[in-house]
Amino acid sequence: MTEKLPRSVIEPKNPRLNVSRGANLPHVPGIRVGHYIFLSGMGPIDPETGERKHGPIAEQIRTTLSNMQHMLESVGSSLARVVRVHVVLADLADMPEMERVYCEFFPIDPPARTAWSMQLRFGNGCEIECVALAS
Amino acid sequence: MSPRREVIVASPLARDRASSADRAVSTLVKGGDFLFVSGLAAVDPQSGERVRGTTASETRHILGNLKQLLEAAGSSLDKIVKVNVLLHSMLEAPNMNEVYARFFPDPPPARTVCGARLPDDAKVIIECTALA
Repeated sequence: MTEKLPRSVIEPKNPRLNVSRGANLPHVPGIRVGHYIFLSGMGPIDPETGERKHGPIAEQIRTTLSNMQHMLESVGSSLARVVRVHVVLADLADMPEMERVYCEFFPIDPPARTAWSMQLRFGNGCEIECVALAS
Repeated sequence: MSPRREVIVASPLARDRASSADRAVSTLVKGGDFLFVSGLAAVDPQSGERVRGTTASETRHILGNLKQLLEAAGSSLDKIVKVNVLLHSMLEAPNMNEVYARFFPDPPPARTVCGARLPDDAKVIIECTALA
């Protein structure tokens, strides 16, 4: 009686941002189920080279959120359709800088968010994941 | 038809705490059939001020506020599907659990607990996803 929800893989239009495929990691950038989009945690990847970009934390946040925007727009969604965000920082002291850049990306009616600090891989200063509504 | 996205509760932090005026966070966002609640730290519901107590007392404040928040939005604690609890120390998990168990029906919702470094000297942060 339950109708089966369609499930599909989300891929960025810019193939350099398909980090998991490039690094042969066992996850995809995101999954769409019905009207919901679940993106994997994203780190600061240079969209020009596909390499990690470890500058000041403000730049890392900006790079990561720009890539998240690209990922969502690749499937017809957008940052304005994001409902939940998890922001993980390697260093808790980076919280104010994160706030400063983050609000540029969500100027009105921002999503629900939880931010904390824990160990991250690859020397990344941040990792950000989200749930969004499809277009 | 794509589901509607609606901010149900804007963040009180932006209003009540000058230092947080630039926080781009909504407390409760509705997306389709689900409510997404931001990670909540312990706040006094009357004054809106941060409460700094034990892990147990912060948990009690947060879940009390979460109950009100969800009910005001037409949902409730028993419509929660998933909870994430962040603790400043995993050694405090039993203290959190003792309070936590009193707030939820049997069976309680799915949950993850993990230890992390938390902002604003919070001992506990709790977020959830609930049915609208």
